[in-house]
Amino acid sequence: MGAPLLEIENLRTYFHSRSKRAFIRAVDGVTMAIARGKTLSVVGESGSGKSVTALSIMGLLNAGPGVISGKIAFRTDGGERNLLHDLEHYVTLGEQDGRIMEVSKDEAGWRKQVERIMAEVRGKEIAMIFQNPKSALNPFVTVGHQITEAIRLHTPTKDPKEAKERSLDWLERVRMDSPRLRFDDYPYGLSGGMCQRAMIAMALSSEPALLIADEPTTGLDATIQAEIVGLLAELKSELGIATLLISHDIRVVSRLADAVAVMYGGTVVEYGPAPEILGARFGLKHPYTAALLASRPSAQNVEEKGGLPAIEGEVPDPIDVPRGCRFYARCNRVTEDIRDACARHEPALKELTPGHHVRCWLYGD
Amino acid sequence: MILEVTNLRKHYRQRAGIFPALRSRERFIPAVDGVSFCLEEHETVGLVGESGCGKTTIGRAILRLTPATSGRIVFDGHDITAMSARELRPLRSQMQMIFQDLDAALNPKMRVRAILAEAITTHHRLSDGEVARRIGELLEQVNLKASKLSNFPRELAGGEKRRVGIARALAVGAHFIVADEPTSALDVSIQAQVVNLLRDLQRQLGLSYLFISHDLEVVQLISRRVAVMYLGKIVEMGLADRIARAARHPYTHLLWSALVEGQSKEASHAPLNTRTGAWEPFDFERPVSGCRFAPRCPVYEARGRPAVCTDAATEPQLHDIGGRHYVACHFPV
Repeated sequence: MGAPLLEIENLRTYFHSRSKRAFIRAVDGVTMAIARGKTLSVVGESGSGKSVTALSIMGLLNAGPGVISGKIAFRTDGGERNLLHDLEHYVTLGEQDGRIMEVSKDEAGWRKQVERIMAEVRGKEIAMIFQNPKSALNPFVTVGHQITEAIRLHTPTKDPKEAKERSLDWLERVRMDSPRLRFDDYPYGLSGGMCQRAMIAMALSSEPALLIADEPTTGLDATIQAEIVGLLAELKSELGIATLLISHDIRVVSRLADAVAVMYGGTVVEYGPAPEILGARFGLKHPYTAALLASRPSAQNVEEKGGLPAIEGEVPDPIDVPRGCRFYARCNRVTEDIRDACARHEPALKELTPGHHVRCWLYGD
Repeated sequence: MILEVTNLRKHYRQRAGIFPALRSRERFIPAVDGVSFCLEEHETVGLVGESGCGKTTIGRAILRLTPATSGRIVFDGHDITAMSARELRPLRSQMQMIFQDLDAALNPKMRVRAILAEAITTHHRLSDGEVARRIGELLEQVNLKASKLSNFPRELAGGEKRRVGIARALAVGAHFIVADEPTSALDVSIQAQVVNLLRDLQRQLGLSYLFISHDLEVVQLISRRVAVMYLGKIVEMGLADRIARAARHPYTHLLWSALVEGQSKEASHAPLNTRTGAWEPFDFERPVSGCRFAPRCPVYEARGRPAVCTDAATEPQLHDIGGRHYVACHFPV
């Protein structure tokens, strides 16, 4: 087993909004690790920072003055690399009374440094599949050509003919029917499910060590979703590739994940093995995870035709982050003993059972 | 019976090229192809199916937002299929739609107050005081803070926008509502809020819903009856629990097993799901003769491709198999 493949330590990704003169704390202290050959799933509502975490790993964030801090250690056969190495040198913060008042960023230097780090990693060691496959593929180039290009770029196979054979092979492996016919199709001629298959083929064709799948099934129909989930499960056992799966669909997550990280308001509130987090023992969970699991219709409330236990309120504002626990305002399990702590201090991640961490004052000592 | 739809058809004409007259024949896309169902008062009927199967088109045709090609729509005892706009106007206040796309449905340049006020005054002439009172009433019904009235739609969160959409449908005094994917595009925790709200409103105001969704669990929870659509036709219809547990049409099975399978890692593969069939984008130009589902149907395959399934003359029709459960299949599971 050894050290995990990817280890994220205290990742913070802030965007600076000039008009509001404030930071948008999209990701605010995320710590997690992906073991070799395992699937870590990040669950959370929109705006909880799931995708920004993924984009931070890929070094695909360079919009406007933003700040990324923390450490992302990526370990391959070639040794360990910090994907955020030296990036902090390119940002200077002007502070006043403990509040950050201005940001100046050497955008060009930042980008150059990111490219220097990521050149050997992006697409090659870490591949990504996106939420909307139709817009992620180039509409002017045939699907087959796009995969062939990826193979020639990222693998030692440089011969065009050989690369074509390999991309056909990959199309077959993602269960694309009649791959030879589909090879010359443009993305608009394919259905959503087929496009997603092509995306997966392209991502895997460079034989990466880590696959990041950002909402791979959202926007697809129910039957197609099941097919894609099935395909990902098969590929996982076939290739043994480590995966970071981002999804808000608990059904997809429970099918594929080995470990789960639940995100809320930019931070991980619970992190641990999938069966413990998604299982039925509600007692040992973060109140948010428990409420999230309960807010899907279950066999029981369908039976009784009862109401759903909803989480009242809305997702917290990433600019004006509450001082205490981020979930405090919507939490239904605050007791008198801990109310004070909940409102004032943000709880730390505590280990409940080996490998299972929860950020909640309920589990104090 | 608040709504009765008989043999509703909606064919869209395909315009291809700039010289359509030169083409020998016109092409039609049968988005809805002979659909019959009814809706009782205070009832919720769920309409499920994959995208492109005609769910939304049915919803729009029923409300006469798009003219039906043929068929009969009887709303509250009035045949509205061929009514003129003027005759239809008083009925419009009784039937409303909650649109799927929140951002397109709410005017981005109007504040919430103006959006609601416009809906209230469209059908009833009221004084400003009465309008304000009615807005207050609506806010309470959909559980929205009064401070949001001066916001623009873009300043609202997804759940709040949805509440405004629901309030607007209620503003005119509608008691039949077509809810087109009201929970999609919302976060899980907000989805539950909206589902609860719709159910509470139904109880308080005695509403009837046609609930269009592809979220099977939510449909099963909120509906009394469910109709399953495939390529413009209803293939199965019956009480929600029966459709969920004792589905007879292979397609419904496929749809529901897709769901059940996702629930647990260890779940055994349903035998029906082993061959999910080649997925092709809905190709309306080539009408499938006979049963539309046959090319993807596992039963068709298992039975050695019986000719009766693909024979154009014997397209399966909905028939009663007992207990108000209708199936359109030659070999129900």
